[in-house]
Amino acid sequence: MLPDAQGGPAPVVPVALGRAKARRWSGSVPWLFLAPALAVLGTFIFYPAARVFALSFQDYSFVSDAVWIGFRNYGRLWGDPAFRYALLNSLLYLLVTPVLIAASVSVAFLLDTGVRGIRFFRGLYFLPVVTPMIVVGILWGWLLNEDVGLVNYALLALGLVDEKVSWLTSYPLNLFSVMFVTAWKGLGYFAVIFLAGLTTIPKELEEAAALDGASRWQQLFYVKLPLLKPSIALVAVISSISALKVFDELYVMIPGAPAAEKTLVPLIYQTAFLDFRLGYASAISVVLFLMTLAFSFLNLRFFEGKNDA
Amino acid sequence: MLRKALVYLALLVVACVTAVPFLWLVLTSLKGSEDVFAFPPSLWPETFHFENYADTWNAVRPNFGRYLLNSVLVSTVTVGLNVLLASLAAYPLARMDFRGKKLVFLLVLGTMMVPEQVIMIPLYTLVLHLGLVNTLAGVVLPFCVNAFGIFLLRQFYLTVPKELEDAAVMDGASPIRIWWNVLLPLSKPALATLAVFTFVGAWSNFLWPLVILQDRELFTLPVALSYLTGAFSANFKFVAAGAVIAIVPVLAVYWFMQRYFIRGLMAGGVKG
Repeated sequence: MLPDAQGGPAPVVPVALGRAKARRWSGSVPWLFLAPALAVLGTFIFYPAARVFALSFQDYSFVSDAVWIGFRNYGRLWGDPAFRYALLNSLLYLLVTPVLIAASVSVAFLLDTGVRGIRFFRGLYFLPVVTPMIVVGILWGWLLNEDVGLVNYALLALGLVDEKVSWLTSYPLNLFSVMFVTAWKGLGYFAVIFLAGLTTIPKELEEAAALDGASRWQQLFYVKLPLLKPSIALVAVISSISALKVFDELYVMIPGAPAAEKTLVPLIYQTAFLDFRLGYASAISVVLFLMTLAFSFLNLRFFEGKNDA
Repeated sequence: MLRKALVYLALLVVACVTAVPFLWLVLTSLKGSEDVFAFPPSLWPETFHFENYADTWNAVRPNFGRYLLNSVLVSTVTVGLNVLLASLAAYPLARMDFRGKKLVFLLVLGTMMVPEQVIMIPLYTLVLHLGLVNTLAGVVLPFCVNAFGIFLLRQFYLTVPKELEDAAVMDGASPIRIWWNVLLPLSKPALATLAVFTFVGAWSNFLWPLVILQDRELFTLPVALSYLTGAFSANFKFVAAGAVIAIVPVLAVYWFMQRYFIRGLMAGGVKG
C-alpha cells in the first residue's frame, strides 16, 4: 500500500548551518516544476471544460460561424425524444452498479478465504480488466450473436431456452447484455478494491465473533460486510460515473443503434461528429457533466470522511 | 475440507467465466472459414490455421503492422510524457513551500472530475485549431499528463526521508538535481505503477482516437479493430487474429508488472 492519502506538507525542520527551511526555494522554482503539467491540464481540460458551457449557448457547426442563441439548446432538449431516450437509457445503465458490487464483493470474499493459489486466480480475473474494451466488445458481440453465438448454443443445448435469444438486437435486452459485458470487464478491478478493504479488517474481530458463536456466514454478513461500507461507497461512485460515460462497448456491440437505444455519450458523439450540431451536442454534454459532478461530489465527501478518521 | 472444496469450486466457476471467452478468441483466430460460422459452434478448430495471422496481417491496407506501430508509438510517448510531467509537478506539491500550493493541488485534483467524454467537442475544435486533427500527436497531447499520476507521485515523494534532501541541499545541489538524484531513484516503484497504468489506459483508448483520426494509416489498434469488425463482419477469424495481436502486448506488460498494477489500483481507485 502507498502512504495514506492525508499527506499535506511535511513539517519544516530547520537544517543545520542555519539554513532554515531548505525547501523554500526562491519564488519561481516550484512554478518551473509545475509549469509543463499545469499548461497541459489548463489547455486540454480547464479550457475545454469552460468552453463546453459557452458552446452550449451557441448554434455552431464546423461550416458556419457560431451564433449565440441563449438557452435555446437547453429548451430544445426537453422536446427532443432522442435526448429523453438517451437520458433514460443512461439512468437505466446505472443498474450495472449494484450488480457489479454484489458480484465483486462475492469474489473478494472468495479471494479472502486464504486458500492457496489466490494469486493465480486473481491474475485470471484481471485478464478482462487490462484488455481493451474494444476487444472485449468484439469478443462478447460474437459470443452473444443470435445466430452463431456460443451463448445461445449453450443455452439451447442445456435446454434452458426454447429458441435463440436476440441478446443484442432487441431493446432493452441489448442494453442489459452490454451492461453485463461492462460488469464482466470491471469485476476483477472492483474485487481487488474490496479485497484491499477486507485485508484491513483486524483478525481479532473475526475471532471475537467466532468466540461468540457466530457462524462463518454470520461473520461475513454482520462483521465483514458492514466494515466494507467505505469501499462499497467508493466503488458505487466510480462505477456509476463509468456507467454514465459508457461508449466503447455500445459502439461495437450495438453498432448503428437507433436513437431510442442510445445512451448519452453515443448521442453526443452522433450529434457532434456525425450531425455536426456542436452547440446542441455541447448542451447534452453539460447535462452529462452535471450528472457526473453530482457523483464526484459524493466521492469527495466520502474521501474527506475517510481522511478525518 | 468441504468448505475448501466449495471455495475452490466457486473460484473455478468465476475463472471459467472470465477466461473461457479468451480461450475461445484464441481458438477462433486459428479456425478455418468452415468452422467459424458452424452451428453448433465448435470450440476446438478442426485444423489449426496459423496462417490466419499472416492473412490478417496483410488483409488490410496498410498492413496490420502499421496499426501495431501506431499503438506502440502513441502508448510509449504517452507513458514517457506522463512519467516526466507528473514526476516534475509532484515535486513542489510534495516538498516545497510556496504561495498558492493548496489551490494548485486542488485544481489538479479537480481535473479528475472532468470526463473526457464531456469535453470532447471543445477539445476537438481546439485540436483542429492547433492543426493536429488526424495526427498521432493530436491523439497523445490531451492525455500527456493527468491528475492521478501527479497525485500518486506526490504521495510517494512525501515518504522520502527529509534528511536525504537536506544532505543534498548542503552539498549545494540545485532543485533539479535533487529531483533527479534523490527523488526519482527512490520513487522507482511509484514510477513503474504510473507507467503500467498509463500504458494500459493509452493502449485501450478508443473514443478520442476515433474522433480525431480519419486516415486509416494513422489508426491505432482499437480504432482499426472496430473498423475491421464493420468491414469484415463476415470474417471472424481475421478480426479474432487481429484482436489477439492487440491484446498480447498489454497482457504481457500486465503479467510482468502485475505487482505495480495492483498497487496502483489500491492507491487510488481513481481511474474508472
